[in-house]
Amino acid sequence: MTGSGSKTLSPQRKRRRRSGWRGLVYIAPAMALVILFFVMPVIFTGWMSLHNWPLMGGTRWIGLKNYVRMFHDARFLSALQFTAYYTVIVTIAIFAVAFPLAIFVEKQRRFVSVYRTIIFLPVVVGLATASLLWVWLANVDSGFVGPALKALGLADKSPNLLATFDSAFLTIIIMVVWKIAGFTMIILLTGLQAIPADLTEAARIDGAGRWQRFRYLTLPLMRKTIALALIISVTGSILAFDQFYIMTSGGPQNRMISVVYYIFNQSFVSFNLGYGAALSIALLAILVVLSIVQLWLLRVGEERP
Amino acid sequence: MIKRLLAATGIATLCLMSAASAADKVEMWVRTGIGEAFKKTVEAYNSSHENQVSMTEVPFSELVQKYATAIAGGQAPDALSMDLIYNPAFAAAGQLEDLTDWAKSLPYFSSLSPSHVKLGTYQDRIYGLPLSVETSVFAWNKDLYKKAGLDPEKAPTTWDEITANAEKIRALGDDNYGFYFSGGGCGGCMIFTFTPLVWGAGADILSADSKTATLDTPEMRKAVDIYRNMVKKDLVPAGAASDNGANFLTFTSGKIGQQSLGAFAIGSLVTEHPDINFGVTLIPGATGGTSSFAGGDNFVITKGTPKMAAVKEFLEYIYSEDGQKMMAKYGSLPTRGDIAGKVLEGLDPRLQVGIEAISVAKTPYTLQFNDLINSANGPWASFTNAAIFGEDVDGAFSSAQSEMQSIIDSGQ
Repeated sequence: MTGSGSKTLSPQRKRRRRSGWRGLVYIAPAMALVILFFVMPVIFTGWMSLHNWPLMGGTRWIGLKNYVRMFHDARFLSALQFTAYYTVIVTIAIFAVAFPLAIFVEKQRRFVSVYRTIIFLPVVVGLATASLLWVWLANVDSGFVGPALKALGLADKSPNLLATFDSAFLTIIIMVVWKIAGFTMIILLTGLQAIPADLTEAARIDGAGRWQRFRYLTLPLMRKTIALALIISVTGSILAFDQFYIMTSGGPQNRMISVVYYIFNQSFVSFNLGYGAALSIALLAILVVLSIVQLWLLRVGEERP
Repeated sequence: MIKRLLAATGIATLCLMSAASAADKVEMWVRTGIGEAFKKTVEAYNSSHENQVSMTEVPFSELVQKYATAIAGGQAPDALSMDLIYNPAFAAAGQLEDLTDWAKSLPYFSSLSPSHVKLGTYQDRIYGLPLSVETSVFAWNKDLYKKAGLDPEKAPTTWDEITANAEKIRALGDDNYGFYFSGGGCGGCMIFTFTPLVWGAGADILSADSKTATLDTPEMRKAVDIYRNMVKKDLVPAGAASDNGANFLTFTSGKIGQQSLGAFAIGSLVTEHPDINFGVTLIPGATGGTSSFAGGDNFVITKGTPKMAAVKEFLEYIYSEDGQKMMAKYGSLPTRGDIAGKVLEGLDPRLQVGIEAISVAKTPYTLQFNDLINSANGPWASFTNAAIFGEDVDGAFSSAQSEMQSIIDSGQ
């Protein structure tokens, strides 16, 4: 920020104002898009959330009743709980896989670009397509995993992976990690590559071990990259929908209803668009708060000491 | 010269326009699972009429929300084959064309399936007319019965007998299983095939005025036990636990000894799987009696469609003897009572069981059918899965009972 020019004189201020206008012109196209496709829909959603707004028929102003209802809605609370559980598990799993992969493909070695490509390939598959693929892999009769376990003698009977919560949840976590880890790896890779080689060199000369270099050099220098990867991963997980809708239709006994899935059900199955809108606004607020907390925790934006 | 040219193009345009208005193309949606009956009728109509019907199949679990969103977005089809239980809700929302005067002018109006007309009527106006009638029945595979040493001509009459037979069929080994149902949270499948166990025994899942959930009854407990027991004894393929309705017709594989099905499935089996030798009977109740679910579709017309005349012509064709015969051949029972006998003449005698089922059949009437029963995430769908496959049967009963009641209460 240019807050340092405190002793401003009038011609300078004028110039700054003019350049401020010019700046506005530059960002106008982007602002127009953001206003048209984000700000206005959000305002409209907020407006809808104050109504009893069925998909068909007339609307009726009900004030904040939709928001009050949310706090007594056991199904919404359990959807929140499940989404939080899923987000924590899947984010840890993605980082646990993506970080070693990033370190692995960072070093120049033979075939490194082949490895990078192979690991990145699942990312370019659509999530819905990937889900359908895994529905087939997990199918009890005509799939791959179950019959393979049986053929190898590891199970007496081909197990139905999608029939119980634990195995279905595990299947989905593995699918998502397979699908997303490549993307997180690329982000982390750029962070790793941005660390100047002479710093590592100096640390090595000072006698820092492998772990010490990672802990006191690599990690702090990658703070911003990690923050970016974390926010993308957490936001993506909180907005998860496709995999539950396609792979388990909400899971054995509705135990895999994520928040977005619940919003979808309220809006387009029960036709309560107003309540769905209120839930969306609540979710938006949760996401904003979470992102701020993450940025604060990782001290992004502050200059390094 | 130019004048003549103008006149010629003018006439040509007029011809084109009149041709376009003479042959209307009616957009119509139907749900999957309705079988071949309607598809074949549309084909027969298109080949013999100038107006054409273009049919789009929509997955049955999504048809209602797709239609509702299409109406909201102004993209709705002209007509729809609507599961009749949804008819009251859409009529109440004022989205359907009022057919009262035209319907009453039909000479055979009084002989149209009364339960369909009842569900198509809202505040004394008619918004839906019967398109297809289906009842649920119990089917058994005669070839597997024979292989297992059972009498293939003897229909089982109790669930003890069905379980015993299932065990013998499972004993054949390999992929042969004794029984099948779509138990992976398919509310529509289970209300169709599983509630007859409870109804036959004299209980119901909703009170008569649909204002109280009455799920937890001794009859329902017994019915759940019957299914649980068969699952525990490995008489049901493992895929049943996660089948959300996509494999409802697993019986057609020839490896399933017994399954509760619909009359549409009888039509598909007879016409498309002639190699499967099967018998049909009424679904026994859990503690005696028999019952069935009378379902099917109503024909509804989207409010404000410009193609009213063409749609009516098509519906009149469906009610003609040719149309009725075509529907019946593929498993949709006749909707016109006055010519039912004539229509079924010469058709597969097993369809007769579907007709008999009508007299013992029930159809729940509630505006919240989707929320309560059919939605894959509704209480009924998760109850059937939890109670039959889960560990905690009591918990499944109590949570579904309270969730159903809270949905009913929030809709009052």
